[in-house]
Amino acid sequence: MSEALALPGVAPARLTRRGVGRFAKGSAGVLLLLAAWQLSVPLVGLSPYFYPAPSDVVAAFVDLMRKGILPVYFLDSMGRYFAGLAAGALLGVAGGVLIGLNRTVALTLSPLLRFLFAIVEVAWIPIFVVWFGYGWKTILLALVYVVFFPVLYNTLVGVRTAPQALVNALRSLGANRVQVLRYAILPAALPGIITGLRVGAGFAFRGLVFAEIVAAKTGIGYLIFEGTQTQQTARTIVGMVVMGLTWLAIDQCYLRPIERATIQRWGLTVDAEQRA
Amino acid sequence: MSPRPLPTPTWLGTLPFLAVLLGWWLLPMLVQYPPYMLPSIGAVLEFARESIVDGTLVRNVLASLARLAAGFVIGMALAVPLGLAIALNRHVADMARPVLSFLQAIAGIAWVPLTIIWFGIGNGSVVFVIANTIFFASLYNTVLGVQSIPTSLYRAVRSHGGRGVALLTNLILPGALVQLLLGVRTSMAYGWRALVASEMIAGSSGLGYMTMEAVQWQRTDTIILGMIVIGLLWVVLDRTVFTVIERRTVGRWGLLQR
Repeated sequence: MSEALALPGVAPARLTRRGVGRFAKGSAGVLLLLAAWQLSVPLVGLSPYFYPAPSDVVAAFVDLMRKGILPVYFLDSMGRYFAGLAAGALLGVAGGVLIGLNRTVALTLSPLLRFLFAIVEVAWIPIFVVWFGYGWKTILLALVYVVFFPVLYNTLVGVRTAPQALVNALRSLGANRVQVLRYAILPAALPGIITGLRVGAGFAFRGLVFAEIVAAKTGIGYLIFEGTQTQQTARTIVGMVVMGLTWLAIDQCYLRPIERATIQRWGLTVDAEQRA
Repeated sequence: MSPRPLPTPTWLGTLPFLAVLLGWWLLPMLVQYPPYMLPSIGAVLEFARESIVDGTLVRNVLASLARLAAGFVIGMALAVPLGLAIALNRHVADMARPVLSFLQAIAGIAWVPLTIIWFGIGNGSVVFVIANTIFFASLYNTVLGVQSIPTSLYRAVRSHGGRGVALLTNLILPGALVQLLLGVRTSMAYGWRALVASEMIAGSSGLGYMTMEAVQWQRTDTIILGMIVIGLLWVVLDRTVFTVIERRTVGRWGLLQR
């Protein structure tokens, strides 16, 4: 879902003639949309509160930058996001490995874990608000929650795919528990961990915006919400644009390279081992 | 390399649920806290009974499900034609890709403040947000579905004289359908979150509204009942609808990767 229409089998645009052509057409698409939006404003004839023009949005952006609001909000959001992502991923991997090592424990716990994951993080926010109030605790907990479960579950499944023959071979060659973990179980679980991280990162980004709408006084989600509350709809759209560009940047510069470096390399390795 | 599913859970799986209930029951005897923070099991059960008897719970569940269904139908109806156009025409794809990637990145809950201005609090806002979420998930799956049709099948249909509408109905639509159905579960996972979240901010009924509304009155019994229903409903939907769709169609056609 977060693959953002990157079509399979199509290499990322490079400086080839095809790449340049695609870049030009893509830019034309963006400009066309912006032009249509700007031109439709006088035609629609609604107040900027209902339907701000791109020029209003640019003005709001400059204003938010000059007042220093946007950089602060942006850093607050990113701090929350990556703190939640890191904590959720660490807990998820640790939990997944611990639970996954024992078949009976995995069998016993998985229905509860599945049920807890089905209570989406969004549904926890009201009770978090009652327990911890409006603020960073609620937001961070929601993010940790939404990252934790996909990572945990996929790690768990990944650990269970570690080839038993490999584990036995390592053991009979005198490997201790840590070495078995390091050389057999973690490599087998890695594709699952990365899949879980990707799913969690996508849910968490939307979860962040929602949690900030409900429970924050700073951040991009708060900016999106506050803009319409104070009749500054252009600010809302600045927030949405910043959110979209941020997610594209996270996805392109961060998640996809990790995926390429791990799943594609390690996934194949593990697969070959299983077949052997 | 899709992960092997864990073996089907046995009766052992009920133990952790019992442990949670036991912990919930014992907690007030061990720690002191104001009762509004965590109501007793009895209080939640009593509230569940009341709200089932007076029909509010059923009404809220039905309202949520109706919005999910409406958003799903609208989102799919828009996504499939556009997805086909993108997948079949390189120029359309090149022009639309950056714009759509960007819009996909903000799909869902971020639209709620704007939709409140445009449609007010209620059905319009919530359905817009769900349709928006489902649209982008399904668009991606439609494109992927068409692209993953093997070239040899195109050549086979072409060499038998299949063109235009015949090509579309005999190869492209069925080919894309597989990926669409595979994607329904993921799309719905995003759609479900969008539903609950948008009802919390912009709803006037439904499960999300019921749960968030209770915060101002500190009615934690309502909140916890809402959470349990949200969880159970998703498990049931996932088990009875989406998994079955996947098994009946994709599994039968032998396209599920193992």
